[in-house]
Amino acid sequence: MALQEISDVSCRAFEEIQGPGADALVRFIVGEDTAPRPMTPEEMSQELGDPFATLVLATGNFPVTADEVLLAIDRATPEGDSLRFEQSFVVGEDSQLGIQSGEIDSTNRSIRFLVARGSAPHGPELVISASHPGGGLVELMAWDVTHGGFNYYRTLGGAGGWVWAGNSRHALTPPTKGKGPFESHPSGNLIMKELKLPWVHWHSFEAQISDEVFEAGDARREHRWFTGRDGADICEEGVVKPSIRRWTHVRLESILAGTQPLGRPRLIEHIAMSPTINLASSGTESAAAKLGANVDLPPSFFVDIEGLQAVGLPPPPPFSIPSDIYLASLETFGFRLTDGDFTQRGDTHFAFVVPERAFEDNEVLRQAIERGILSRRFVAAILMVDFPNPVFSSRRAQLVSHVQDVSEIGSRDISEDVAASIVAASEQSPSDSPERDFAQRWALGDDAWEGAFAGELSDYYAAIQSQLVSQDGFNEIVRLAESRRNAVREMPIGNEFRLLFPETNLESENLVMKTDASVAEASV
Amino acid sequence: MTPDRFTPPGNLDEMSEESLAAWDDQIRGFFDAEADDFPNFYNPAGTSEPQEMHRVTWPAAPGRLLSTRMSAEQRWAIADGDRKEQDEYCEWSVLRDADGKITRVTFTTEVPDYFDVLLGSDQDLLLELYGQMSGEVIPIDALRKHEGNVFVRDSEFNNRTDGPIVHLTQLSNNLRAAIILAAQATTLREVDGALLTHPQTLVLCGSLGDERRHSDPQIGAALNGLVARGLDVSLADPAGLYLDRIVTTGFETPDGTDAQEFWRVERGDAGHAVRAIFEVPPEFSYSVGDIKIGGRPIDFGAQLADRVQVRIDALSRTSSTPPPEPQPCVPS
Repeated sequence: MALQEISDVSCRAFEEIQGPGADALVRFIVGEDTAPRPMTPEEMSQELGDPFATLVLATGNFPVTADEVLLAIDRATPEGDSLRFEQSFVVGEDSQLGIQSGEIDSTNRSIRFLVARGSAPHGPELVISASHPGGGLVELMAWDVTHGGFNYYRTLGGAGGWVWAGNSRHALTPPTKGKGPFESHPSGNLIMKELKLPWVHWHSFEAQISDEVFEAGDARREHRWFTGRDGADICEEGVVKPSIRRWTHVRLESILAGTQPLGRPRLIEHIAMSPTINLASSGTESAAAKLGANVDLPPSFFVDIEGLQAVGLPPPPPFSIPSDIYLASLETFGFRLTDGDFTQRGDTHFAFVVPERAFEDNEVLRQAIERGILSRRFVAAILMVDFPNPVFSSRRAQLVSHVQDVSEIGSRDISEDVAASIVAASEQSPSDSPERDFAQRWALGDDAWEGAFAGELSDYYAAIQSQLVSQDGFNEIVRLAESRRNAVREMPIGNEFRLLFPETNLESENLVMKTDASVAEASV
Repeated sequence: MTPDRFTPPGNLDEMSEESLAAWDDQIRGFFDAEADDFPNFYNPAGTSEPQEMHRVTWPAAPGRLLSTRMSAEQRWAIADGDRKEQDEYCEWSVLRDADGKITRVTFTTEVPDYFDVLLGSDQDLLLELYGQMSGEVIPIDALRKHEGNVFVRDSEFNNRTDGPIVHLTQLSNNLRAAIILAAQATTLREVDGALLTHPQTLVLCGSLGDERRHSDPQIGAALNGLVARGLDVSLADPAGLYLDRIVTTGFETPDGTDAQEFWRVERGDAGHAVRAIFEVPPEFSYSVGDIKIGGRPIDFGAQLADRVQVRIDALSRTSSTPPPEPQPCVPS
C-alpha cells in the first residue's frame, strides 16, 4: 500500500516520507512514483540486484546506521570476500582551514566519510556517504549486477527504514531525469566534485585533515574510517573514476546492443553542455603565496583540456602568476571564507577553486569516440565552438537543440547525421551564430581541421599568457572565475556548503572569455 | 620497544654480523647527529617508552612534474626518461620487447646507504647483489671512487631507465636525507604569529626541500604536526623507505585477471617491500603493455608510478618538555 503522496521532485522529497516503519524498504523513484510504496520481497528480488539488497535487505535486515550496514555485509560474506575490502575517505569544506575543534561551533562543520566496499578492478560494489558511522543519514550506492548501474538508497528519519530512490538508468530519461537524487547525479554516477590533484577539501597527501577536526572524545576520531583514512588520490583513481567508467561502459554497451534508445541529444549534451562539473584548483596553497610561491592556475579553467586531448588537439602550456599579483587580487576583491559567524580573510586552502568540465562528461566523450559512435573530427568541431568557455557555454548548448532524437539504434558513427542537422540549421541563422561557427569548422574536412584548430588554440594560449603578466589582466580572470563559481552556486551540488568557495565583493555577473583572452559580459 | 640495534631496511637478512654492526653504526650516527641538534627528534634505538607508529604515504610519481600541469603523456615520458626526475624516494626502470611494448617495470626504494655500508664491510655481498639485480658481472672498481672509499651510487650498472636497476640513485633519494628532513621538520614555524601547519608552507618556511615534491611536504607536515601536539618524533626501525602498495583498481586486463596479481615483491618482508616488479607471468598470453589504465594502454612506467604508494614509518612518544616555541621562517 502506498504512503502519502509527495509533490516535491527535488532530493528533499525523501525528507517528507512518513511511516514505513523501521523494518521496511520503500520504493520512491521521484518522477515515476507519486508516493512511496513498501517493496515486497518479490519486488526486491525482481528489481534489485546489488549486494546491499540481496545480502542485507532481502534477508529482512534493515540496519539503522552506516556501521550496522557494513557489519551486516560482513556477516553475510565469507572471510576474504571482496565486499569485506574497505577503503575510507574524508572530506570537509572547512577541514583544511586550521580551525581547531573548539573553535568550530559557529561554522557548519561538514566532515563526511565516503566508505567503499569491494576490490574489483572496475571499482567498488558499494559506497556509503555518512557524516557519522553511528548515526544520522546514510546514503548508499550499490552496483546492480543484474540490471547494471548503481542503485541509490538512503535511510529515512523518524521511525527508520530505507528508501530505494532509483537506479543510474533513471538519471538519463524522463520522467525521472533530473529529479530526486538525479538532481545532483545527472548521469547516475558517483560524485566526487574535487576529482583532481590537489583535491581541495579532501584528506590527501597534499593536505591532511588532522585529528583536531573532531573534539577529544568524539567517537569518530578513533573510528577506523578516520584512523585508517586513505587519501583522495586513492578515492579518485581507485573508487570514483573506475565507477564512472563502469557505468559509462554499461550505458554505451546497451546503446550499441539496441537495448536502450540512442538518446542523441543526451549524448551530445555531455559534449556541448555542462550537465555537471568538477572542481579544479591551483596546486599552490593560498598561504604559500604569502611566502613567495608562484600560483599555478588550473589549465582546465581556460580550455577543456581533457576533451581537446581526447581528440588530439594540443594542451595549453602551464599558466601561473606571481604571488604578488595573486595576493593583490585577494585584497582588491575582498576574498573571504564565510559560514555563519565564521569569517576568515583570504582564499580557500588551495588557491583559485573553479569549475571544470566534468570527468563523467569527458568519459562519455572518450568512450563514444573509442567505440566509433562519434568521430574525433565531429567532437572537435563541437568543442571548438566557444572553446575559451569550457563550462557553461550557452553557445555550445544551443547546438544541442538541433540534434534530432531519432529512435534509430545501431553501432555506426552518428557524427555525419548530427553534423548535418546543425549545418542545416546554420543556413537560417545569423552570421555570428554558434551554428555557423560549427558549420565552418565542420566544412574544414578531414585533412584541415586539426591544423586549423591547433592554430587557433595556440593563438589563444599566447593571449592568455599576455593577460596574466599584469594585475589588470589577472583581475579580469578573477572576475570570470567568480562568475563561473556563481553558476555552480546555482547547481544542487554547489549550494550545499557555503565554504565550498571563497566569497568576494564582486557583483554577480555573467561573464565569458573571448578568444583574445579578454573577459566580457555574456550576450543575451 | 625499539630494538637496541638497527635492522636493515625491509628486514633483509643477507648481511653478515660485521655488516649488521656497520649498518647499526651508520644509522645510529645519523639519528644521533640529528637528535643532538633537534631536541624533539630522538634516536629510537632501545627506546622503552610507549611509542605510536604513523604511516606516512605518498605517490611514487614525481610531484614536481605534476605541478607543471603538462599533459600526462609529457609527464610520463619525462619521468620515465631520467632517473634524476624520479625524486620521491622511489625509482623505476622499464623493460620493453622488440616492438616497444612494456613487459616489466621494476620499482625500488632501496637506499644507497645500505650498499654504501656493504662497500665497507662485505664487498662480496655487494657484488653478489649487484650481479643478481643487474644480471651482469660487476667489477668492484665500478662501484667506488676516490681511492676506493666512496660508493658510486649511479654507476653505469645502476643508472638505466630501460634495463636492470639495483637501488636509488637520485641525489635526494637516500636514508640520510630522509632522517635529516624528519629532524628538521620538528621545528615549529610561524608567520605573523600564526603557526604554520600545511605542507607547502612548512617546506617553504623551514627550507625543508622542494614544496612541489610529494614526499618532502608530506613527511615534514606529518612530523611537524606531531611535535605541535606535544610529542617527540623519530623514524621506526627498520628505518627505510617502502613500497606500500600499488592501487590497481581501474586496470583493465585482456582476460579480466586482477592486475594486483602482477605486482610481485622481490625484496623486503611483508609490510616492508623495497623492490617489486610489475610483470605478467609467461603463462598469460599478453604483457604489461596490453593492460589499460583508465582506457589507456600502459605505455610508460610512470603510469604505474602514479598508482604506487611510497611509505615511511614515523614514531612518536610523549615529550618531556612543552612544545617548542615556533620560529620565524628560514631566510630564503
